[in-house]
Amino acid sequence: MQSSCIGSLMELADQDQNILYLTADSGEGGLDFMFRKNFPDRSFNFGIAEENMVAASAGLAASGKIPFVYTAAPFLAYRSYEFIRNDICLQNLPVKLIGTGSGLSVSSLGPTHHTTEDISVLRSLPNLKILSPATPKQAYECMKVAYRYSGPVYIRLGMNKEKEYFPDDYQFPIDKNEVLKDGEDVTIFTTGAILEEAMNAAELLEAEGTSVCVVNVPTIKPFDKENVIELAGKTKLFFVVEEHNILGGLGSIISDVLVDAGCLKKTVKVGLKDCFSVGYGTLPQIRKENGLDVETITSRIKEALG
Amino acid sequence: MNQQDKEILAKLRKRIFITGYSGGMAHLASCFSAIDIIYTLYMKDVMKHDPKNPDMPDRDRFVLSKGHGGLALYSTLCEAGYLTEEELHTYLKPWCHIGGEPNRRDLRGIEASTGSLGHGMSVAVGMAIAQKLDKNGAKTYVMIGDGESQEGTIWEASMSAVAFSLDNLVAILDCNKVQKTNHVEETLGYVHWDEKWKSFGWNVMEVDGHDVDALKETFMNIPQNGKPTVVIAHTIKGKGVSIMEDNPIWHFKLPNRKEKKVFMEELQISEKEMEV
Repeated sequence: MQSSCIGSLMELADQDQNILYLTADSGEGGLDFMFRKNFPDRSFNFGIAEENMVAASAGLAASGKIPFVYTAAPFLAYRSYEFIRNDICLQNLPVKLIGTGSGLSVSSLGPTHHTTEDISVLRSLPNLKILSPATPKQAYECMKVAYRYSGPVYIRLGMNKEKEYFPDDYQFPIDKNEVLKDGEDVTIFTTGAILEEAMNAAELLEAEGTSVCVVNVPTIKPFDKENVIELAGKTKLFFVVEEHNILGGLGSIISDVLVDAGCLKKTVKVGLKDCFSVGYGTLPQIRKENGLDVETITSRIKEALG
Repeated sequence: MNQQDKEILAKLRKRIFITGYSGGMAHLASCFSAIDIIYTLYMKDVMKHDPKNPDMPDRDRFVLSKGHGGLALYSTLCEAGYLTEEELHTYLKPWCHIGGEPNRRDLRGIEASTGSLGHGMSVAVGMAIAQKLDKNGAKTYVMIGDGESQEGTIWEASMSAVAFSLDNLVAILDCNKVQKTNHVEETLGYVHWDEKWKSFGWNVMEVDGHDVDALKETFMNIPQNGKPTVVIAHTIKGKGVSIMEDNPIWHFKLPNRKEKKVFMEELQISEKEMEV
């Protein structure tokens, strides 16, 4: 997702001189180098100082620039939180925050490098749009969406060569969920890089005779409430699969929507159960140890269906 | 300082006190340490700005990082023509748009929403970078406090300003030696501010922060040598009211009836003027 994201940004920067690239020493894989090489006057490495970078991006945006701030998601979302709140969101400035390596992506480094509460803390900030692409193509398109939106945006980016599910001519559904697979027995909602596990679970369940609807949520905020309410009457059960704490994440958002609409719907949240991640290793290994692998997801759905 | 400056500054101190007192809450002492500096920037032809065109793209910008001095900024902006006296006097009244800390959404002329310390300096770094990119010759001025300088981001910002060669950035350290609960020196020890800033690669200038002529002279001679400049302005917290000067208890306190008499006497405020 990272390379498609920066590729998209370079195309946008070609068209708009006001686009700037800011990083806090986080240009993995030479991406920073590529942007710096192409736009040397519009690329700023703030060093390992996320709060200063975030506040400076507000100053730039207040001066007519469109800063894209790219750094490791946990340090961006947590360390800079008050700066995102006061300097960017309170002043409704067009800063585009890109948190890379979100969720459990940086699987080998443990919970300090995992971003499993960012949706929960950031979605309570007024004015902030939250995008959560699931594949490289979706990340590429969501950069354009972020650019066109007049206010602040947080993009939750994975970093593990995510499988592509979208065609070359894919159009990002603005502020809408997308049904990737229709089904009648159970609906799985998911967001971000863990889409692949949800799709694989659906495939296994289909093979055993359970009809599964898979809904991807590329825009966390504003949230597509209508889609949830519409699907509530269609399948027996809702499952929410997220690389995030079940408190405050996508599952909580869906529960809120259902309660507000007066829908009584069993919703099973598959994510971190109000805990920090355990284990260190490859992403498949860490997902397994934290109950987010395809086998665990499938068995929990079967269990709930009885 | 000429007679006109003296008279306007006396008026501004009066305005801050009357507005703050009638509102029921104010950081009077912080405003009184900062007011001469803010007045010099806006009213003595230091900053390029236009109240009739507050969004002028090539304007100089001022960020009050120590946002609790907000009434000093609002009072000066009132004098400069950004808001009327009537608007200023809505301070803390129901549904008002003038509060204890400046908010960008509330008035064109306020460049940044501040109040949480350690933010404005970094915001100013961003503004100064934008001015450099736009090649418009404009400067960004940011006022920080010596207590505020305990925030780590001040130093993150100072490093980045040097790295990005922001010689259009002027930080003004309102060095009033007092923070909320104590003297700065007694909180985290004595700090040689000049040495600290020099070691971070900044130009360092020092000035009496209550001397308008010296302040103007300093601001008109900011070096243009590829490095940002800090002006260490030596001030007295609460300057202008004897019982408030250099005393930490006044950080966020209004006078009682007896103390109010001293304020009114020393600021030459009549009973009628207090009826706002």
